[in-house]
Amino acid sequence: MIHVNAMGDTCPIPVVKTMNAIRELNGSGMVQTLVDNEIAVQNLTKMANQKGYGVTSEKLEPGKFRVVMTIGEGSEPDSTPPEEETCLVTPAAGQKKAVVVISSAQMGSGSEELGRALMKGFLYALCQQDSLPSTILFYNGGAALTCEGSASLEDIRSLQAQGVEILTCGTCLNYYGLTEKLRVGEVTNMYVICEKMTQADLIVKP
Amino acid sequence: MRAKKPALVITFSTAAEAMKMEKFCLARSLPGRLIPTPQEITAGCGLAWKAPEDALALLTQAMADGEIHWEDARVLSI
Repeated sequence: MIHVNAMGDTCPIPVVKTMNAIRELNGSGMVQTLVDNEIAVQNLTKMANQKGYGVTSEKLEPGKFRVVMTIGEGSEPDSTPPEEETCLVTPAAGQKKAVVVISSAQMGSGSEELGRALMKGFLYALCQQDSLPSTILFYNGGAALTCEGSASLEDIRSLQAQGVEILTCGTCLNYYGLTEKLRVGEVTNMYVICEKMTQADLIVKP
Repeated sequence: MRAKKPALVITFSTAAEAMKMEKFCLARSLPGRLIPTPQEITAGCGLAWKAPEDALALLTQAMADGEIHWEDARVLSI
């Protein structure tokens, strides 16, 4: 059996690593992959079913799952290039590239209190979607949401774990004194923000 | 498809009451968080309180103590 450690890897790396291991088998055999989230288990299971491999999965402990694939005699080597492997919940090639833009810690105008509750709800609901955006951009008042003290950190980290790119404007972090308080994602600049927005197929601005 | 898990969902008739619940629970470190009301439920308000499924007794007592008026409480897989 070939053992694949994909703990800490974001989609589609677990599928890519497993496919590479299956190619190494050069015929029949078993591949065991360790992952740290249920989405990865579902992606691997889907891939195995599509290719006709036997597959079992089990949760070993919180945050640790084992997926075992059995490749039978007569299975033809898979010729799909690793970079073309797609995931259950991230956009596949040919699907719209959606970018979410968060320019405020509140959703809508009117009551600030209600707006904060709505924005928390939006980010929670975004985590529940089957199809996720490729990138979420945070700027101006939205920059606070990726920083220490944000009530949405858990949801944004969950999105990042599922392969969503999280970018926060560096100028905004600096302006609000939050540069050292960024807790999820990376710092970006206006050129990247501009590029992400102009190249998106769909921009979602709550 | 994202895996669903059972959770206690408490609904309210107004957003004001839902947000009052959030402030109350945060101040007392009570379990749960505010979420958009799941689509499986018809409720007066679009904000609901999601908590561990075994927190019903704790939260209903707390809401009575805090004079928070709630509409319904049920366990859903969400």
